[in-house]
Amino acid sequence: MTESKKNKQVNVILLITVLVIVLCIIWTIVAFRKSAGQRVLIIQENQVIQEIDLASAENQEIKISSADGGYNLIQIQNHEICISEADCPDQTCVKTGILRSESLPIVCLPHKLIIRFAEEGETS
Amino acid sequence: MKLKKLTELALLTALALIIFVIELHFPDILPIPGVKLGLANIITVYAIFQYQPSETAMLVACRVILGAICSGNMSALLYSASGAAMCLLGMIIISRFLNPEYLWLCSILGAIFHNIGQILAAMAVMQSMAVLSYLPVLILSGSIAGLFTGLCAQAVLKRMHRTEKNS
Repeated sequence: MTESKKNKQVNVILLITVLVIVLCIIWTIVAFRKSAGQRVLIIQENQVIQEIDLASAENQEIKISSADGGYNLIQIQNHEICISEADCPDQTCVKTGILRSESLPIVCLPHKLIIRFAEEGETS
Repeated sequence: MKLKKLTELALLTALALIIFVIELHFPDILPIPGVKLGLANIITVYAIFQYQPSETAMLVACRVILGAICSGNMSALLYSASGAAMCLLGMIIISRFLNPEYLWLCSILGAIFHNIGQILAAMAVMQSMAVLSYLPVLILSGSIAGLFTGLCAQAVLKRMHRTEKNS
């Protein structure tokens, strides 16, 4: 491959990279907007196991057991939902904190658990 | 395989594993699954430009499996393995079109491929599109980490060439 041809290819690859990154910045900004929805779905192994309306939900704790014997403790307080405790190895779901955005769900990969806002018109 | 090359690859695998284990003790930067510095990829990117694709693949496979054993987090093996495979494939193809001066660019793209692989694995495991929304965040953090590891690997490559010339 000649040098000039390689230089041209560098420009193309550079352009694609910059484009991907810019797209991701826009996507992230859109994703981090606070959700207006109030209905929350708790999904385990791709099945909705509970639907909660945050606007009317009282403060409570829900314990969800997973297939491998582990658990996630879901806490609802002041109309906000988060995972307060879990015995998964990475603890990412706990560190994610309160569910805020429609497109950024709370995910616990080891227990295959997802907590996310319900889309409009979606029912369990 | 020549003994010298085997020794070099073994040394690089050990180095990558040490970096990986040290990185395990770093506190999490962002509370999002999959966000990591990925310092061990300094070795991977370096190997891409220094060795044959098959040799690099062996190095990465050893590092990923040994890394999972060392971290004790076997459930993460699937994600890191699919991420590493995508990353490796992408970087091997891209490195053919790039001179070593653009190693950092190759590293950024490798990080992006890694994140795509991770998300694909997560989508397969969870059977849900919900995790897809993590992709842009992962790609952004991955690009920054990829640029850093790429620049590190580039510095290593430059110095290694100088050492080889002198000896």
